[in-house]
Amino acid sequence: MPTGQPDAIVRVSGLSKRYGRLIALADASFSVNIGEVLGVIGPNGSGKTTLFEILGGVLPADSGTVELSRDLPRPALFYLPDGITPWSDQSVSWALDFTIGFFGGRSELRREVIDRLALTPFLRSRLSTLSKGQRKRALLACGLLTPHPVLLADEPFDGLDLRQTREVTEYLKGVAAGGRTLLVSIHQISEAGRLCDRFVLLSGGRVRAEGAIPVAQLEEVFLALT
Amino acid sequence: MRSLRSPFGWLLRKEWRELVSSRAWWVMLLLIGPLVGVSFISAVRTYAELSGLNGTAAGVGEVFSPLVGIWAPTFSACELAAAFLLPFVAIRVVAADRHSGALKLELQRPMRAMTRVSAKAIVLMAGWLLASFAPLLGLALWRLYGGAIYPPEIGSVFTGHIVNAALAISLAAAASTLTDHPATAAIVTLSVTVGTWILSFVAAVHGGRWAQAAAFTPTAIVAEFQHGLVRLSVLLISALLILGGLSLAAIGTRLGAAPRKRLVESLALVAGLAAAIVCASFVPSTWDLSESRMNSFPRSDERLLTSIQQPLRIEAHLAPEDPRRHDLETQTVSKLRRIMRDFEISYVSATSIGLFEQTSGHYGELRYDLGGRTSVGRNATTDGVLESIYTLADVLPAAGDVTEDEEPAFRGHPLAVPPTGAAFMFYGAWPAAIAIAAMMSRRRGS
Repeated sequence: MPTGQPDAIVRVSGLSKRYGRLIALADASFSVNIGEVLGVIGPNGSGKTTLFEILGGVLPADSGTVELSRDLPRPALFYLPDGITPWSDQSVSWALDFTIGFFGGRSELRREVIDRLALTPFLRSRLSTLSKGQRKRALLACGLLTPHPVLLADEPFDGLDLRQTREVTEYLKGVAAGGRTLLVSIHQISEAGRLCDRFVLLSGGRVRAEGAIPVAQLEEVFLALT
Repeated sequence: MRSLRSPFGWLLRKEWRELVSSRAWWVMLLLIGPLVGVSFISAVRTYAELSGLNGTAAGVGEVFSPLVGIWAPTFSACELAAAFLLPFVAIRVVAADRHSGALKLELQRPMRAMTRVSAKAIVLMAGWLLASFAPLLGLALWRLYGGAIYPPEIGSVFTGHIVNAALAISLAAAASTLTDHPATAAIVTLSVTVGTWILSFVAAVHGGRWAQAAAFTPTAIVAEFQHGLVRLSVLLISALLILGGLSLAAIGTRLGAAPRKRLVESLALVAGLAAAIVCASFVPSTWDLSESRMNSFPRSDERLLTSIQQPLRIEAHLAPEDPRRHDLETQTVSKLRRIMRDFEISYVSATSIGLFEQTSGHYGELRYDLGGRTSVGRNATTDGVLESIYTLADVLPAAGDVTEDEEPAFRGHPLAVPPTGAAFMFYGAWPAAIAIAAMMSRRRGS
């Protein structure tokens, strides 16, 4: 299992987390390379969200370390949770402005992100009034506007239709090509295959495999290891 | 002053927008007008009747203090709002971030947890200040009626309610971050409020340490400010409680810290806070801001009492619910505590009501000990107590000790006018203005 590559910018070692008797993560170790799209895939309850929350600094780990490259500006990681409706009474436009202002985000990307994620029709709508897919795109826009060099997106395609999923996939690939590192948790294997350069397979809180897997074999590998 | 373009500035703007978009705040604004109105109108009517309106007999001039007659009841509506409305507004603002997921995003911007909580507290206080325009409207009406206004008294009452609101906000903030659900936070907040009432009740029955602790409950704090009495110890303890509540809330927002670490920090904070509160309770400085000096003895008595250097101990054999004990405490002892450096009083009783102790030979006695010289008396009035103290100290006041120049007597400010226009302002104009502002804000936000 290849870990500790020379161009790794995030090294995760031995992360463990328990909720009472339930083991959410058990000695999870892997690394993230610069500019790649790393997919964390696994069945429901495999520990993907727990892993992301620990990496995002919003959940304490029981043990283990997350080592960041010295070259990375701090803070380095931005975690975009799934299933949240932050600032629900505020408009999408304001949420984007707040993200730029509060996090010191990339204002020059605002127009591009709005266009590529097709946010224009509901820019003035409140986040609480959006459909699941619209809200997902709006929050993805917030994540993309943050200045952190590594973006962790939990289920970025959840709620999106097929066309939107394809469009967002292409955009995220472009973002990664532009130098930003993406760590995405995806349960749709086919979409994961289109987007990700490498994979970390999680099952039962353990890392079962890490590395580049051909798209054609991805489903078989997933079923075999999980 | 940090720029509004700084992260803290953005946080303040966000919290303000969240407050303005919360229905709880608008409901509080809507209700506080009529609440204040009921109190103000009733107070002005009573004041007018006692002042001779409709041909009723005028009372004694000295009783016509707008502080007690108008401002204490008018602002008491704020006390009600701070206990039952403001906590829900605060819980909405503080807990919403956690439940919507916004906190998980915002935590990823490096910033002190206390700074985050402070932004919420500042905005909530601003929201409360806007609600405080209702009693200030009463102030304007009173002025229009020709009523007297003594600014230090208004300042004292207003400060008391600001302190009370800040206590409510810090309590609600702490409850919001330490519990899993806003409903639980609301229950915890109200339980603490009810708990302070129970403490006051127990203090009234048992006195002693209970009474000392009850002196620092929000109700007692507000009551003192409403009488124009400002105690530095109360201000310090309030500030400590407010900071403590916000600090607990700050610890609770650090989702990335291990629960055990947060628990240890919280316990350490509570222990440190308790020690600081005990120390602060010994700070003696007080100020009587009432125009009538209702919290002070006449200056001639104050001069005599301050000249007494020996420690004074009084043992009062009066039950907690004996009216004489209440009068003794409020009319005399509270003033003695302010003026004498070394003074202690202890109450002795076998029962809480004293009804069945009347047959005891010692019941009703006040035993004085001034630097070893002792005496026993039964007169619990201010004059009786002072006379006993002066006799023991051999400092009997000379006749005509007070001159007019030294201490002009407070003659009161009777005002026999009906509360014209107040009903329209509080029951009509205020709710209408709030409803219009809420609708405009909703439209602008969409």
